[in-house]
Amino acid sequence: MFQQSINKRKRKVRKGSRVMVGFTLPVVILYSLFFLVPLLMGFYYSLTNWNGISKTYKIVGFSNYVKVIMNPRFLNAIWFNARYMVLLVILVTVVSLVIAMALNRTKLCSTLFRSIYFVPAILSLVTVALIWNELFYRVIPVIGQQLGIEWLSTSLLGNPKTAIYAILAVNLWQGCSIPTVLFIAGLQSVPMELYEAATVDGAGRWARFKNITVPFLIPVINMVIITQVKAGLTVFDYIKAMTDGGPGHATEAIGLLVYKYSMQENKYSQSVAVAMILFVIVGMISLITLRITGDKQVEGD
Amino acid sequence: MEQITKNSTKIKKGTSYTLRTALIYIFLIIGLIIILFPFYITIITAFKTTSESAANFFAFPKSFYLDNFKAVLQKANYFTYFFNSVAITVVAVVFILLLTTMCAYAISRNMNHSKYHKAIYYYLLFGIFVPFQAVMVPLVKYTGDLRLNNQTGLVLLHITFAASQAIFLLVNYIRSVPSDLESAALIDGCTIQGAYWRIVLPLIRPMLMTILVLNAMWIWNDFLMSLLILNKSPNTWTIPLFQYNFKSQYTFDYNMAFASYLVAMVPIMIIYAFVQRYIVSGLTQGAVKS
Repeated sequence: MFQQSINKRKRKVRKGSRVMVGFTLPVVILYSLFFLVPLLMGFYYSLTNWNGISKTYKIVGFSNYVKVIMNPRFLNAIWFNARYMVLLVILVTVVSLVIAMALNRTKLCSTLFRSIYFVPAILSLVTVALIWNELFYRVIPVIGQQLGIEWLSTSLLGNPKTAIYAILAVNLWQGCSIPTVLFIAGLQSVPMELYEAATVDGAGRWARFKNITVPFLIPVINMVIITQVKAGLTVFDYIKAMTDGGPGHATEAIGLLVYKYSMQENKYSQSVAVAMILFVIVGMISLITLRITGDKQVEGD
Repeated sequence: MEQITKNSTKIKKGTSYTLRTALIYIFLIIGLIIILFPFYITIITAFKTTSESAANFFAFPKSFYLDNFKAVLQKANYFTYFFNSVAITVVAVVFILLLTTMCAYAISRNMNHSKYHKAIYYYLLFGIFVPFQAVMVPLVKYTGDLRLNNQTGLVLLHITFAASQAIFLLVNYIRSVPSDLESAALIDGCTIQGAYWRIVLPLIRPMLMTILVLNAMWIWNDFLMSLLILNKSPNTWTIPLFQYNFKSQYTFDYNMAFASYLVAMVPIMIIYAFVQRYIVSGLTQGAVKS
């Protein structure tokens, strides 16, 4: 009888573990079908000379990669993304932190301020980009002329030198909202007693910020940096809607290059090769950022 | 909030404090103007005729001219795109919440003793490092071959590409929730499905809120994925796709273009007005916990 109940128990456990495997299956199957398979397909096609349409193709090894890397357009895209990412990470972190600290100090209308500062985050990137597109062409040059500022008097998007900053400005206008909210939450987690104690001990404003505020904000800063690194390396919507890579190839980001090669220029195998390189770059930079920010966190604790 | 101000007044009283507060407000109001300026231009331009805008772009409209909206709403089938967006967002988010919580629950309760669960956890996490653009090109061909270059396919893709982040957030969260309650329920004869539905889901509600907010915003506003999968069949477009295509069709009539931007923004603004608190708390919850 004892044995029987053990068997029954075992059956239940086994049935339980079957359910526990079953629970994971929908996600695992979808992920394998729509993520892993396309990733492997991409790698395979990057080794062929397929143009996306023809019935036959042959394996050409890594020559697509060589072709891509030797192409100035690709190097130009990498350079664009590198600059864009660095500026985006720094500016989003600094601007959001400053706004969050200011918002955290307000008492009068603080809810109203916070609600309005968050609004850009809920809009679609395309709508925002299209609105700013019109502003850059029709509104900002007029303001520039009125104020007599020369670099503002023509469209910033039309100039190969300034287009990247115009896109960056739009990205900041929208992209600071969520980090600001996160920073406010972080600032509110700092115990007030610490500030008081530090002030009693004679710590100045900067010393308090550096030694109390920043360590408490490290987890949020890490998260903002990690998300912005990825956002900067994969920027697409703004560029597609505002400049489509132009003027010339001045704002052609890697993501857009992948899109154009495959959808508009029939360079299918080269486009997947670029995509694979992008994958390696994003993976490596994410790992490095995780490593660096992880180290900092230990110091902060 | 109150405490902070009280304390800082205690610390430093006098004119320098008042001056600093004034400077903070001036800074914030300048920021407010920068944020609201595009909305102002969008609203006034949408209600003006082309000649009115040409006369003075910045002036308030003399009368509310509604033909721009009529053109956008009727000619351009706005309501079809609106319902497409709603349907895709709702269906995808419901499935994301259901499937990722099931999966994350199984992983977090078994990864210590089951090699399978541990392996799939890392397998799914791998996706966080892979940008969508790295797989998008083969994905277009592949979904086409499977005849999934339609709204069903788009929903499946949204679920797939939401999985890694959701599993990561959920597994960490569920592991911090003690399993005593479930064990008790299982001993009392509850099935695992029952324990998941009646005990685990209510316990992880804050994290569900985070995942709901993140994904609803992401899917509602998604452009690239919809562009790749749906662009060839206009009656399946979502609002961002309609925006993009409408713009290229009416490049010169910018009053109409602004009317289209306005109608694209209105639904999400209305939702925001009502559930703003939940959106903000949902976002911060996820950040603080992870």
